[in-house]
Amino acid sequence: MGLNTGLKFVRRLFPLLLLSFILSVSISEAGLKENVFETALPNGLKVILLENHKAPLVTFQVWYRVGSRNEAYEKTGLSHVLEHMMFKGTEKTGPEQFSRIIQENGGNDNAFTSHDYTAYFENLSEDRVQVAIDLEADRMQNLVLREEDFRTERMVVMEERRLRTEDNPQAVLIEQIMATAFQIHPYRWPIIGWMEDIGRLKLGDLKAYYQTYYNPVNAFLVVVGDFKKEELLTRIEKAFGSYSKGAAPNQEKDKEPSQMGERRIFVKREAQLPTILMVYHVPNLRNPDSYILEVIATLLSGGKSSRLYQSLVREKRLVLSAEADHSLVSRDPDLFTLSADVLPGKEVAEVEKAFDQEIGRLQREPVGEQELVKAKNQLEASFIFGQDSIFNQAMLLARHEIATSWKAIDDYLPSIRKVTPEDIQRVAKKYLTPDNRTVGILIPLPPKEGKPAPDGPSTKEKMIR
Amino acid sequence: MILLVRLFIPHSLRARRLSEPEAAFPACPAGRRIPNFRPLFLILTLTLMWMGLPVGSLQAMPPVQRMTLSNRLVLVASGEHSLPFVTLQLLVDSGSRRDPSGGEGLAYLTAKGLLHGTSKRTINQINEELDFLGASLNSSSGRDYATLSLRVLKKDLEKGFDLFMEVLTQPVFPEEEMKREIEKTLAAIQSEEDQPEEVAEKAFLKALFLNSSYGHPVEGTEESVPKLKREEIVRFYGSYYHPNNAILAIVGDITEQEIKAKLVPQLEKWPKGEIPKVPFITNFEKEQKTVKINRPITQANIILGNVGVSRENPDFYALTVMNYILGGGGFASRLMEVIRNKRGLAYSVTSFFDPGKYPGSFQIVLQTKNPSAREAISLSLQQMERIQKELVSEKELEATKKYLIGSFPMRLDTQGKLANFLSQVEYYGLGLDYPEKYPSLIRSVTREDIVRVAKKYLHPKKHILVIVADLKEAGLE
Repeated sequence: MGLNTGLKFVRRLFPLLLLSFILSVSISEAGLKENVFETALPNGLKVILLENHKAPLVTFQVWYRVGSRNEAYEKTGLSHVLEHMMFKGTEKTGPEQFSRIIQENGGNDNAFTSHDYTAYFENLSEDRVQVAIDLEADRMQNLVLREEDFRTERMVVMEERRLRTEDNPQAVLIEQIMATAFQIHPYRWPIIGWMEDIGRLKLGDLKAYYQTYYNPVNAFLVVVGDFKKEELLTRIEKAFGSYSKGAAPNQEKDKEPSQMGERRIFVKREAQLPTILMVYHVPNLRNPDSYILEVIATLLSGGKSSRLYQSLVREKRLVLSAEADHSLVSRDPDLFTLSADVLPGKEVAEVEKAFDQEIGRLQREPVGEQELVKAKNQLEASFIFGQDSIFNQAMLLARHEIATSWKAIDDYLPSIRKVTPEDIQRVAKKYLTPDNRTVGILIPLPPKEGKPAPDGPSTKEKMIR
Repeated sequence: MILLVRLFIPHSLRARRLSEPEAAFPACPAGRRIPNFRPLFLILTLTLMWMGLPVGSLQAMPPVQRMTLSNRLVLVASGEHSLPFVTLQLLVDSGSRRDPSGGEGLAYLTAKGLLHGTSKRTINQINEELDFLGASLNSSSGRDYATLSLRVLKKDLEKGFDLFMEVLTQPVFPEEEMKREIEKTLAAIQSEEDQPEEVAEKAFLKALFLNSSYGHPVEGTEESVPKLKREEIVRFYGSYYHPNNAILAIVGDITEQEIKAKLVPQLEKWPKGEIPKVPFITNFEKEQKTVKINRPITQANIILGNVGVSRENPDFYALTVMNYILGGGGFASRLMEVIRNKRGLAYSVTSFFDPGKYPGSFQIVLQTKNPSAREAISLSLQQMERIQKELVSEKELEATKKYLIGSFPMRLDTQGKLANFLSQVEYYGLGLDYPEKYPSLIRSVTREDIVRVAKKYLHPKKHILVIVADLKEAGLE
């Protein structure tokens, strides 16, 4: 059943967003560094290869180091619109032919945009990998941007924004809380962009953006699956090698200054259940505290024996679901998130109090040995389960590469294993403080007309207790 | 972490496909959603002679063993040893189509209730133990059947399997816990009101299937769920949860010897039972019907369709090809071309059949800004009519066949997908050689077949139309 809570909601919408799950899962612990091969073409294009011969399949992925963090005021949504336009063809390939060609070869393709990156991938049979190589190499430099295609595709993106955000109360809350928690750093605006900005983008903006960011020096390839690396590398060199390096774009962004006190926002709109989000500024994996936050998130919401589930769902019966989430592999420091969908007839203030109690407990009481081992076991098991998929393996390598380096994956399990009860107390005290947080609350309004009011207190009576 | 993908499939469709037959049916093409691309396993270490069945020879399908236990439980297994974990999926023929009238949600609540306590362990003990193993054990129900699935590290297989068997054969459905589950289900039903696509989907199924067994939501309704009683759950469980009404798929790091030595003895203790015969009520709307639901939203959520087919229908393969061309083929489909690529009217437009043991539905699903609703509906109807009248081009047909056949291996490329696939192949009696037969089933479809099935199974004149929108803005008041 689709139950929305903060980031979980995000996962629900975007299947790829098993991601924060994927992140706890990864490549075989044993000798990743030995199995992954990295090289760079003379023009600066980095190539990351992992052979995996369990099935005659390959995932071929091109990652560009450009996302909404690279955008500017009044030009938000540019990265994502360009991602859509990447399917509008080159001199060789007609508009919207790209996916048709991949599908005729028995493959699937898609693309995605995030704060930090824009990525394109093809999943196909190993004997078809050349098709993906040629098409991706072609559109890295030879995209044809036409006014007519742009106008139509902009309408598609506006529909996408309506679907994802405008008609979704929780999505609006997330957008609002990001715009409050971040004031300087570009994580502040939504990846899809503000509707007004999408409406005023110009074809010239796209051309300049493509010119700046779609260069060998600002991209890398990740290929995982059934191939021989020498042979594949020859093919890649042939297809991508002739492009000139391009200028490395400036990737420096201003740091978000420390927060000087709690911020609080409300979104009031027609909705069924209240939602609460609490977000705290935290470091990414450049700082070892980040791995401790991974363990904290697991203690709080890993499984039905976790603290939030036991306390908020079972004992206090306040919420339908509660989640803790941490973005380990963002390029710049991001947020640690607590979220909950509040049950009908329950007070949001009670939920907030319960969250505070759980945070306080993390700060005050050392976590018991059994509970800590449980959290680590969960992270390790997920780590192994996630290796079932070459697509996930490629995603994991690429996301670490975006944040720091794919090599950081090797630190994941050892870093998790060495977390101590004292670490947890220290990190909870350091980051999970009221002054460092933004609280966002969705307050449901009753419908104006057309249907009966969502049940407030009356639902309570209907509930069987 | 937030990502925008070029195209994703709306939640309601995904949810249904996950709880219902998925892997045995055409893979979602590119763009419909992001596939989880995982390796499938060719290297086999299971001996080839178990039950004397031939091993699948096609690369798409790892070897599979099938056996029937003394209590009539059918076991399908496929070993692969590169990763140290095991996936079990049990399918019990006890889906919501068996819900009594007025007791909608009973099958769902029973499936959920399995995990709420056993004669040996409380719900908290079960959850604590599972989390300590890092394992997952889930139960749910769809229209046709319920599933219980376990994923556990190889080293913990015995503990995990003990839990699996305990919740399956000794659940106690504690009164207090079932009340909680009812409360949770009701809140979830309420929260689905915030998702226009869910609202549309429920309205569509109700309008199409009337009072037939597929007409109500699997999780029940606001009216029916509060009335469900523990005794009914216990009775429902006692009626249907028997080995002779179930299929167990076992996939991953486990050998035939281990299955026989460690799993079979416990499985055989599960007692057989007499399964009640419940008639399937077939009654669907045969005339054109429009349902309009007013909401203060920016997009019209539209479902247009009619009754579909059962999985056993011999036209299934011709329909698969036809639907790919019409609206199932992602960016290769006509609806996508006309509505998204040419006119920019929608981000997502798709069509599908959702066949079950009995005929399901055919649906075109799209979202467009309110003022474009009429245009998008009329374009969709035009495409339904066009594929009924004109032969598709040779080129379209060939491209479709290449995709469906070529992408087949990706439908079996994780333990979870393979377990789901195997249990469904068994459920629908497709035969373990299905992956080998599939290419020829698809190849044999002709252009004339497509016109024939389009005429027979698409009803543009007698469609069911559901619109959830700001009706005033959509000009549909």
